[in-house]
Amino acid sequence: MQDIEIKVNGRPMRTTVAVDETLVDVLRQRLGVVEVKNGCGQGDCGACTVLLDGEAVNSCLTLAVQADGRQVTTTRGLGTAEDPHPLQTAFIEHGAVQCGFCSSGMILSAASLLQQNAAPTRDEIREGISGNLCRCTGYTKIVDAIDEAAKAGSSEERSAR
Amino acid sequence: MGREAREMEARELRTVGAVTRRKDGLAKVTGTETYASDMELPYMLHARVLRSPYPHARVVSIDTSAAERMGAICITPDDVPDIRYNERQVSVPVKTYRDRTVLPWVVRQVGEGVAAVAARTEALAERAMRAIKVEWEELPAVFDAHKAMADDAPQIYENVLLGDAEFPIEHNVACFRQVSVGDVAVGFEEADLIVEREYQTGRVYHAQMEPKAALCRPLADGGIELWATLQSIHNTRQLLGRIFDLPLSRIRVHRSTIGGAFGSSIQMNTPVAICVALALKARKPVKLVLTREEDMYDHCKYPAEISLKYGVKRDGTIVAGELKTLVDIGAHNIQAYPLLGCMSGWFVSLYRMPHMNFEGTAVYTNKTPACAMQGYGNPDVSFAVESHMDIIAEKLDIDPIELRIKNYVGLGEEFWGQGPTVRSIIRSCGVEEMLRKGAPMIGWDERGRPEDKTGRYRRGIGVGRTFHTSGTGAAMPGEVIDYSTAMVTVNEDGSVDMSTALMCHGGGTLDACAKLVAEEMGVSFDLVGVSPASTTDTGYDVCTHATRGVYCGGGSAVKAAKSAKAVLLDFASRLIEVNPEALQIAPDPVTGEGVIFLEGAADKRITVGEVAKTAQLKGWGTAIAVESHRMVNCPPCFVTNFVEVEVDTWTGEVRVPRAVCAVDAGTVVNPDLAAGQLEGGLCRGIGQALLEDTAYDPVTGEMTCGGMYIDYKLYTAEDMAPVDDVKVFFADTYEPSGPFGAKGIGEAANNAVAAAVMNALQNALGIRFQFIPITPDMILAAIHGWACEGVLPA
Ligand code: FES
Ligand code: FES
Repeated sequence: MQDIEIKVNGRPMRTTVAVDETLVDVLRQRLGVVEVKNGCGQGDCGACTVLLDGEAVNSCLTLAVQADGRQVTTTRGLGTAEDPHPLQTAFIEHGAVQCGFCSSGMILSAASLLQQNAAPTRDEIREGISGNLCRCTGYTKIVDAIDEAAKAGSSEERSAR
Repeated sequence: MGREAREMEARELRTVGAVTRRKDGLAKVTGTETYASDMELPYMLHARVLRSPYPHARVVSIDTSAAERMGAICITPDDVPDIRYNERQVSVPVKTYRDRTVLPWVVRQVGEGVAAVAARTEALAERAMRAIKVEWEELPAVFDAHKAMADDAPQIYENVLLGDAEFPIEHNVACFRQVSVGDVAVGFEEADLIVEREYQTGRVYHAQMEPKAALCRPLADGGIELWATLQSIHNTRQLLGRIFDLPLSRIRVHRSTIGGAFGSSIQMNTPVAICVALALKARKPVKLVLTREEDMYDHCKYPAEISLKYGVKRDGTIVAGELKTLVDIGAHNIQAYPLLGCMSGWFVSLYRMPHMNFEGTAVYTNKTPACAMQGYGNPDVSFAVESHMDIIAEKLDIDPIELRIKNYVGLGEEFWGQGPTVRSIIRSCGVEEMLRKGAPMIGWDERGRPEDKTGRYRRGIGVGRTFHTSGTGAAMPGEVIDYSTAMVTVNEDGSVDMSTALMCHGGGTLDACAKLVAEEMGVSFDLVGVSPASTTDTGYDVCTHATRGVYCGGGSAVKAAKSAKAVLLDFASRLIEVNPEALQIAPDPVTGEGVIFLEGAADKRITVGEVAKTAQLKGWGTAIAVESHRMVNCPPCFVTNFVEVEVDTWTGEVRVPRAVCAVDAGTVVNPDLAAGQLEGGLCRGIGQALLEDTAYDPVTGEMTCGGMYIDYKLYTAEDMAPVDDVKVFFADTYEPSGPFGAKGIGEAANNAVAAAVMNALQNALGIRFQFIPITPDMILAAIHGWACEGVLPA
């Protein structure tokens, strides 16, 4: 067992974990960070995507000990109901959310994409979210939403905060 | 309703049909929405299930002592009630086949649970589960429906229950259904042309993004409280009451947000009963969340083998049709009987036939049990029938669209919404409009002939049309239960609460119902709240399935709103001294608050909130109403898909660069969300046509994808890139029996897609494929004339 400290959305959280415990399990089961979803636990679906020091990772393929001393950002860290992130708003406006189970991971992959490429083409958007499965939407509206958020151009300053 | 009245009503609609922000949107994108798998309770234990590695085996003994020494609570078949049940509860009991128990002594598929443990952490539960020792006696297994019916096939069941009576199983046939109209022999005699073909569809996995979950809390009075991945909280409560012998008043099932369904939770899935049994034994809350692998072994879509025969006159008039189907249902019968009934209904309701015969056989095999998936046999029947229509059109040299228009079942004719016992008369129909308007949008007349197409990349255009039922209501009660209950309350500040056990699977059903209530009450959409729901605070609702949410659930919501409004107007009439019949309500354009007024009298105005508050202060009561309501119809929501494919003849790969999706949903309540449903259905339909299936290793009985998403294969955003050009439109219709003219949409979105893709492939290559999914290998085989199953020349 190992003591770790993870900053989740800026808030330090301490816990003791087994060395083989995955980040998604520790976030969901020990720290109550349930907005991070577990869709497969196998690295196939992207529902568990978080930003680890700003970089999108599958938290089911990341060991909790690897996150020790680092920043984890979830969709709650991007924005709130009172002050949503432009990507979050665009997802609602464009019908990119149906059941919503993929949304958290999808939005974080999109945020990470826009950080690296502020003006992606539609194909680049599709490539950027190709690790995130969505069974409900058929993806077109998700691409529309990310496209619009990118064009609105406000993502950079927001995700930097 | 006449055209004029209808136009007047349509003009006046304020909220229905408006684009609004979905009510659960912010919660979903900011991560505050709670799904069943997110729920936690103090002192909660985590559960794991010990599952069979064999496709067919008897449990000789189970030793849980090592697991118990680790502090785990364990259950085995000895610890669960000896009650045989069917997890799907939408049919009347005498038509319900019951073949399973919570934990069985005989397992009939790989992955079937035989014991379960609960412990403080998931890791401990996992270790305890692995410490259980089971002695198995392997039994012979069968994985093919035809082989399962042979005389020497292993017998999967000796008998099951039909209702409460023993029902012997012979040759592994779970049920058989024959339906006929007229005399097909006579019909085929009259035909100038007879076309006969075989088709086959895949064993698709629902792949809803949320793996199944259940959390059960035992209560002090011996009852239970449950949060789970469900499409029907009330049927779950009734079934749990039956299995665990509890009065329904002590069972509280909560509606939880669901991470996708597609039919996979119409039934109460296996983790629910296991979780409840564990919680009752542990006397502590227990949570069970399936892994993706376990979920894949829990359910899949019914596949179908179909042999289809149509007899037509030279002018294209259909005179007779016969459809025979064999459905491999896997290890349990999650109600294949109504499935077969529905398949007969889809067949009857697609094209007029004076003579028809349907025969359906459902067969047990040692595979994952099949259940409803979006369309419930309709995508399968429509794939076969719509392929056939193109073949007939070609043989008779008639335009495929004209052939369809000549024969489709439409206005004034009978529609079988849920098999032979649930019928209604079609009162709204946009079939012709969608075909005529969609054709130029895709470039139908320029699609060319396959024989003229050359080069590496070949494009083709195809059409598929069908429908889905809007619910399973009908004038007379049938085999299927169908009604909804809603409660509408006018609050003291003028806002309104809507309470119903209906679910939203993501398509916007609850938003639609809130809009219908807002429309009826004359308040803004923002002021109508959707109350959290559980079985103790809502009346019965059968299930959010069968594309019934808006039409049936919405129908009950409007009825409750009307009744609550009557009470409200009665209070208002006392306050402003106007006959209640003369009063109207409309939202204030600025505040959205409802204003009750007498037309033309400026002094006769009062807000909804003022009336509700005054009624409360004066002790008159609350404007509240509960209505249980069954629709007397099940109108078809017609759908038409045009798709263009591009085939790479070197690799066999297929892209879908363009598509047109049209639906006749009557009044469209949520236009943007409905368009989203159509796009999602398009994607899943293309997956069924070109990608998705589950195969089994004939030795181990395991799925060849191993329960992994990566090997099952689902389309990613990158794979779907070609389908960026999707045009969606709605037929201009009005359903007189629906709430504000609305019908359903849900399942229709998916039903005609595979047919359209296959017809487009034919137009591109001149090859008629009969099996789906059709993979690049099969396409290459067909192009080069290599031997390959499922490929025959057109
Ligand atoms: S849960 Fe991590 S990729 Fe699916
Ligand atoms: S919205 Fe349901 S999986 Fe994406």
